[in-house]
Amino acid sequence: MKRLPARFFGRPVHLLVLVLVVLCCINVAFYALGRKRLTAQEKNMELFDIVTSGLGLTDLCVATEARYTRHPAVSDPIAPFMDHPGALEHFPTGSFWAPPPLDTTAGEQQ
Amino acid sequence: MNSRLTQHLNILDYALSSLWRRRAKNLSILIVFSWVIFLVASFQLVTQALTETATSVLRSTPEITVQKMSAGRQIEIPIDFSRKLAAIFGIQEIVPRVWGYYFDEVTGANYTVMGIAPGRMPLLDRLNLSLEEGGRYDQGSRGKVVIGRSIRRIMEEKGSTLLSLFRPDLSQTSFEVTGVFKPEVDILTNDLIVMNIDDARDLFAIPSSMATDLCVYVANPSEVATIARKISEALPGTRVLTRSQINRTYQVVFGWRSGFASVCLLTALTAFVILAWDKASGLSPEEKREISILKILGWETADVLAVRFWEGILVSGIAFIVGCTLAYAHVVFFNASLFKPVLIGWSVIYPEFRLVPSFRLDQFLLVFSLSVLPYLAATVIPAWRSASVPADSALSGM
Repeated sequence: MKRLPARFFGRPVHLLVLVLVVLCCINVAFYALGRKRLTAQEKNMELFDIVTSGLGLTDLCVATEARYTRHPAVSDPIAPFMDHPGALEHFPTGSFWAPPPLDTTAGEQQ
Repeated sequence: MNSRLTQHLNILDYALSSLWRRRAKNLSILIVFSWVIFLVASFQLVTQALTETATSVLRSTPEITVQKMSAGRQIEIPIDFSRKLAAIFGIQEIVPRVWGYYFDEVTGANYTVMGIAPGRMPLLDRLNLSLEEGGRYDQGSRGKVVIGRSIRRIMEEKGSTLLSLFRPDLSQTSFEVTGVFKPEVDILTNDLIVMNIDDARDLFAIPSSMATDLCVYVANPSEVATIARKISEALPGTRVLTRSQINRTYQVVFGWRSGFASVCLLTALTAFVILAWDKASGLSPEEKREISILKILGWETADVLAVRFWEGILVSGIAFIVGCTLAYAHVVFFNASLFKPVLIGWSVIYPEFRLVPSFRLDQFLLVFSLSVLPYLAATVIPAWRSASVPADSALSGM
């Protein structure tokens, strides 16, 4: 392989440009791969529609340890603290998931 | 124009050389700074991916779900309630559902059991398309279930072909598995057991006059809010959830206000404050001496500031790019493995995460403005204070 001319790295700024170009290339490749996955996910939208409509699903299956993280949209709003009076939240997922909005009354605007 | 460009290139060269002279210190700052940005950006990307997935995947949830509440808890709802709702104009269909959780004491796993009324839910007749090859969902027949992939895995580990579950009185009931959901819909179905509504009633010992909730379908989507309000008035003591409220839940539950996010943010903030404090507390005697010598050699205050600016932007900019790149790789290629233990907690069954965040400029700008800009200020301000002092007085103090 032919060596790069010595003066290519003659100035520190050239090395900086090289580092930035490498980082840019990595990011562009990552972005392209991410787009590919998004497209693949969009192809499955029909399947998602069938499952959510057919079974009336309301929540993602991310954590299955507690009902308020398995079904945050339809579980009791204060579920983490209602196992008994003074109960403390102890499930690890409870720390990742913020409480759902308290406004669960009907009639809000679309 | 050319001379100004050349001047800045020379200053950039000098800044790079200056960074290289103190490479151990600058490299450690770069690593810490990249780690802080990685942590914040990773959390941002994970929550964004989950929120976007929920929004797109759950777009076909029932328009209105009605639950009965008692003493702050959700309880079974009488099916008779649907007769009261039939008078509300605009409601197309009211479908009762029986669903709940089943705790498997052997494995410690929680299953979601879903009892569906045959022939009444939209698109249910096409559910076979979401099953793996050879699977079929027979709506009318009892004693048959379709299951999520994790439940099949547990059955294989147990070596059983029938799914055996216990009723509340500890009598056993068994189901034939006729299908398994495809991996593509794992994010929705991983822990699901779908069965006939009467089988679910039998399993949970729920009377035939009761259901877990009612799914209400509306003819005109623009009337959902009005109909939801009418349902709420007609059935006091119920909770009425609309599709938009469900979507809004997922906009909120993965937010910065959750405990884990606060810990991440506070850690990042503390690390950054220490870094900025070190910078803002003043320049080292060696750095002051360097500035004085440069000024004696004819450099102007603006040139010195330009050097410090470039140093700051190089360290913080490269740390930002490296941190964000690593965060993207962490989320997309390693499926957020650092956050996974917290995200799934003690769950025995969970789907394989295939998180796909879309590229949103505002998210990255937020991280940029929270990290790079304050660092630049913390770098340039002490340099300006030092550079504005006459060179001879700075040197005489050495």
